[in-house]
Amino acid sequence: MRDHSRAGAVNWLYAAPAMLVMAVVGLLPIGYTFGLAGEYHRLALDTRFWPVVRTTLSLTAVTVALELVLGLAVALVLWSPFPGRGLARAAVLIPWALPTAVMAMAWRWIFNADSGVMGDLLFRLGLVASPQVPWLADATSAFWAIVLADVWKTTPFMAVLLMSGLAAIPDELYEAAALDGAGPVRRFLVVTLPLLKPTIVVAVIFRAIQTFGLFDLVFVLTGGGPGGRTQTIAVYAYDVVFRYQELAYGCALVVAMALCLVLMTGLMLGAARGGSGR
Amino acid sequence: MIRRPAVVLLALLLSACGRSEPDDGKVHVRFLAAPDVGGFAKAIIERLEKDHPGVKVDMIEGPAAGDARENMYSTAFMGKEDSYDLAYVDVAWVPKFAAQGWLMPLDALIPPKELGEFLPGDLEGSRYEGKLYRLPVQSDGGMLYYRKDLLAEKGLPVPRTWEELVAAAKKTRTPEVAGFVFQGKQYEGLVCVFMELVWGFGGDLLDPGGAVRIDEAPAVAALTALVDGIHADKIIPQAVLTYQEEETRNAFQEGRAVFMRNWPYAWNLMQKEGSRVRGKIGIVPMVAGPGGKPAATLGGWGFAVSAFSRRPKEAFLVAEYFASAESQKLAFLKGGILPSRKALYADPEVLKAAPHMKALGRVLAGARPRPTHPRWPRMSDALQMHVSAALSRQESPAEALRAAAVEIRAAAAR
Repeated sequence: MRDHSRAGAVNWLYAAPAMLVMAVVGLLPIGYTFGLAGEYHRLALDTRFWPVVRTTLSLTAVTVALELVLGLAVALVLWSPFPGRGLARAAVLIPWALPTAVMAMAWRWIFNADSGVMGDLLFRLGLVASPQVPWLADATSAFWAIVLADVWKTTPFMAVLLMSGLAAIPDELYEAAALDGAGPVRRFLVVTLPLLKPTIVVAVIFRAIQTFGLFDLVFVLTGGGPGGRTQTIAVYAYDVVFRYQELAYGCALVVAMALCLVLMTGLMLGAARGGSGR
Repeated sequence: MIRRPAVVLLALLLSACGRSEPDDGKVHVRFLAAPDVGGFAKAIIERLEKDHPGVKVDMIEGPAAGDARENMYSTAFMGKEDSYDLAYVDVAWVPKFAAQGWLMPLDALIPPKELGEFLPGDLEGSRYEGKLYRLPVQSDGGMLYYRKDLLAEKGLPVPRTWEELVAAAKKTRTPEVAGFVFQGKQYEGLVCVFMELVWGFGGDLLDPGGAVRIDEAPAVAALTALVDGIHADKIIPQAVLTYQEEETRNAFQEGRAVFMRNWPYAWNLMQKEGSRVRGKIGIVPMVAGPGGKPAATLGGWGFAVSAFSRRPKEAFLVAEYFASAESQKLAFLKGGILPSRKALYADPEVLKAAPHMKALGRVLAGARPRPTHPRWPRMSDALQMHVSAALSRQESPAEALRAAAVEIRAAAAR
């Protein structure tokens, strides 16, 4: 048993540098944030707080739902063997690999009111009356522009996560189901989906946390407009800290945001567990 | 032999830890500015270093975006660092920076008589709670650009009221050419445009007593005019809700608008060879509403001395040098930078190079700074958001301004 504990100690030693770095770049700033946060009562009085929470939540719900459906489809397609699959898998990852701010600039051009590709495309298809569509000038279409850009960028990530789940499903189960006369749809419903569920839960939580903190895309694409209707909590917290110089309240916002995330994650985990009948 | 990567790494670490500069026996004065396009700042620095051999100016050419530079200054000052001896500040940053105690009052350093030579708006915008914190170097103000040729075609005079502007726009617009374009995106520029009209309609945002008046009738009338311009009169394309300065200029320069609200910088670019509107444009102060006088929102830049600088004397010397009439003339002739000194708008050499400076001087003489309140960013954001909401018809003009006033009063009271 001596050997065992010794190995344990060595393992800790190996992990120590990484943990130290994590502590310095992760825990320390987080601790600072909690230390600096104050003026919590203002959360209740702030007329901007609930609108930005609402925007952030709807953005999170819509994008993650769309990404899950699309990501699952992409994962299934890329999982089944076909010629050139390796290339296709690599190509699909490109949007995910692009820096968001750069990609957001590109989307700003795509949605440009005077010479944007999106308006031109829909005009050529005969869906709009003029190629000049001010997408980002309207609260609803600006919201959907952000959804589209975010879904485009992060669906590959969802697909990759789901593919790792697909890899863990043994082929025998499919063979057995096929022998029992189950068609592809039924095999998907009784084998793939239930066995993929733990991966789905993790992937959805991952993406929900990321979308909840969405900053760069909104900052570049709409700046929170029009009428503040696309402002997320992260964009608002940035304004409060850097532009209004209200450090204490800005940190309080971040703490509130973290609590929201904990609550959201808890709810999702609870739902997943409840759904599977313990 | 020393290994190169180690040296580079060490240098990086050192430069991140504090200010290090060559030991050349000179006093180094450092500041951050926009990229020096045209090289006029370098030319001024060259002269300065010749006139004052003991001083070396380290100009750091930062990002072109003003708010990025504002953040760089804020971050350094928040940490009480002496990274910058001077701050090249926008008129809108003065109250915020001064209220935080980041800037040094300059009143004792400059004779009052000399101050009288600057444009009144630039000076007012450099003060906070009665003290001077900035030497204005560059003036800026919003104005109305118009297409001389299109107005002449229909025999129309240059509009002086909002009503005349709408009428002229209706007569000159075509499906391809919009009537009026301005900066309508939700950002600081929108507030600048809106305040010009509010003042022009006889209203105000904060009166000298500190009362918030943005929900009063003149302001509502000004916002209604803009909203109707988009949705009822249809002289303004809805796309302006996505426009900042450059989108606006491009629309006007490509001949897609009869009138435009913009800053003076657009003039030189539109008068360049190859510009479609070259020689066909004029400028006047922004139109006024019933019962108001034309107004301009003041922009503009100037030097402030950092409260954390260890060489404030030399820093002020550099500020004064840049603000001198000779330097400002050079900056105008070489870089199109508008002077903050009144006399230069009547200077024969300047007028010979740019006859429109006479009209510009008239605009800038009446330019008004945005309220000098330390919580201006929050007030401005509230106004931006609700004006933008009204322009996109999520709120009626009266509702929008009532909501903005509530938020602005809350910010002022805290």
